[in-house]
Amino acid sequence: MPLYRFGLSLSRKESDAFDLTQHTFLTWATKGHQLRDRTKVKTWLFTTLYRQFLSDKRRAEHFAEAHEDAQFVEPPHVSPSVVNAIDAGIVQQALHDLEDRYRAPVTLFYMQQHSYREIAEILEIPIGTVMSRISRGKAEMRAKLTDLAATDARKVISMPKEQRQ
Amino acid sequence: MNDAEARAILSVYRPGESGIEDPRFEQAKCYAKSHPEVAQWWAEQQELDDLIALKLVSTPVPSDLKMRLTAWEQRSLRRTTWSRAALLLAASIVAAAVMFSSWRGPFQPAVSLADYRDEMVSFVKVTPKLELESSDLSRLQEFLAKANAPAHFNIPEKLKDLGPLGCRVLRFHGHDVSLICFERAEGKLVHLLVIEAAAVAKADGATNPQYAAEGEWTTATWTEGGHTYLVTTKGDRTLLEKYVGSS
Repeated sequence: MPLYRFGLSLSRKESDAFDLTQHTFLTWATKGHQLRDRTKVKTWLFTTLYRQFLSDKRRAEHFAEAHEDAQFVEPPHVSPSVVNAIDAGIVQQALHDLEDRYRAPVTLFYMQQHSYREIAEILEIPIGTVMSRISRGKAEMRAKLTDLAATDARKVISMPKEQRQ
Repeated sequence: MNDAEARAILSVYRPGESGIEDPRFEQAKCYAKSHPEVAQWWAEQQELDDLIALKLVSTPVPSDLKMRLTAWEQRSLRRTTWSRAALLLAASIVAAAVMFSSWRGPFQPAVSLADYRDEMVSFVKVTPKLELESSDLSRLQEFLAKANAPAHFNIPEKLKDLGPLGCRVLRFHGHDVSLICFERAEGKLVHLLVIEAAAVAKADGATNPQYAAEGEWTTATWTEGGHTYLVTTKGDRTLLEKYVGSS
């Protein structure tokens, strides 16, 4: 499932996420035996899915950017009411709303399955760039979480306690 | 270094991350040690990061995803020679293991009881949103059953004596976890989380509560009738024993 969730975060569409996952699965079935270091299977799968995403979207040139200095930014404050309102839908929407360059590293950061070095390998960018994008992406995401939680709160219609489902 | 610079650096630092040689991390950590408000801010940031990570992992996936992918796998096998079929099968088994199980390769540990305990405590530390609010336990268990989550389990009698507030279902590595929240007399919460026992690798299978401290929180875990139970609250073991019983 982590591969599918990564694909969904990148593509923003369930059908595209399935296609990306299936393509990765197919590539593994046909070329996986070429991978000599079996400890790299997971990184290889994520890299393959990411490359396919770039290829599908013809964004390779857009993503092939020069090294960015590891400049970090302070994330904005998130109020307790926003924290309480955060759910899977809001998190997914906030990721979808991120700029492309931040979405992949921030998603991999929050999936908590890869070290910074592995994220750099998957995205094929320098580790300093990974950390810089995670810093800026997290800051951007916190701002979006606050906006989305506020929007979500406005949608809530109060119901009698026993009727909430 | 000032507060803002330290916060910016700490927001990227991940405890346990190895292979990063950036002296700014050490400087920022030292700064936090001498500035309690920055240390407090950092702790809150880590809790928020854990919460976001948990929510991301609970993003639903199509219920037929596995079926659709394995259908493709079977079609491929029918079209290939036996040697290629064997190769495809072996490759697919590994890929499927990566995708659908808790197998994470030799570089990641399996999901252990400690992992489960950590994740659940980090989840309830921020008061969770409930899907059903009710003080009627049978109604809560009925809701959980309809959601196909663990529902038919025994609740400790002393816990039942507290007023239940509500329940919700969350996901942990592909498994449903039933959460029922109870209110302590002083307005604090006690959380009961139940997951099928097979979902947690290396569970010790203890039928008596096993206590562990998680910062300011204490947990009690045990296995009974095919379920692994976890009860947690902010407080020490003596407090939790009042609701669960001693081991």
